[in-house]
Amino acid sequence: MEIKISTRQVLRILYILSWILFIGLCVEAGSFFFNAFYTTVINPAAADYFGLTDLYAHDQGRFLVQLLLMSIAGVLKALLFFLIVKILMDKKLNVAQPFNKEMWHFLRNLSWLALGIGLFSSWGAAYRDWLLQEGVPMPDAERLHIDGASVWIFMGVTFIVIAQLFKRGIEIQSENELTI
Amino acid sequence: MPIIVNLDVMMARRKLSLNELSEKVDITLSNLSILKTGKAKAIRFSTLEAICKALDCQPGDILEYREKS
Repeated sequence: MEIKISTRQVLRILYILSWILFIGLCVEAGSFFFNAFYTTVINPAAADYFGLTDLYAHDQGRFLVQLLLMSIAGVLKALLFFLIVKILMDKKLNVAQPFNKEMWHFLRNLSWLALGIGLFSSWGAAYRDWLLQEGVPMPDAERLHIDGASVWIFMGVTFIVIAQLFKRGIEIQSENELTI
Repeated sequence: MPIIVNLDVMMARRKLSLNELSEKVDITLSNLSILKTGKAKAIRFSTLEAICKALDCQPGDILEYREKS
């Protein structure tokens, strides 16, 4: 028996997946802020949650800078998925006529967010490496949620190119529609 | 755009309404309206031919080039 999956079903699955990822990323971004607050104000032992106990003991300021870079990348990731959830929720993803201004704005915003995530992850990873060179024991980038910076940058650049192609596509469509 | 569409002038001269021209040329009213109001970005030769035939005129009677002031 052949099982046919329509575009609508794919979009529905994507919508549910995006919601799950969005909530997960919100929790993750929130955990960075909460950890920074809880560690500095209430209990320094909470720095162990991200394996940053040694960094906290070394310098509180540097601990906060590392968490800030992680938080910014985390918030941008959550924002990226919020955009996906929003475009799927507003049903602006018109598969029949994909060349519209909403899609162009969506792709453009997606590209800037992906580039932002890439840059902040890269800075976070570079800061981690620098601290490691300074002799502070640090966990790996994966545990700090700042790994794969180059992938994010690649994704951002790709989206910029796609967004520009969409922009041209919209212009051609508009010209075509206004040809009598 | 420096290209002016004088369709309304020719229609008035021939005493033809938009509806009548639309029927004669076989173009939808909305498309004809886009052409008349100068919102169109391009015109096909086939459309121009049909309009010229319906209005018994030359393309130059409908289209005019006027430099931007």
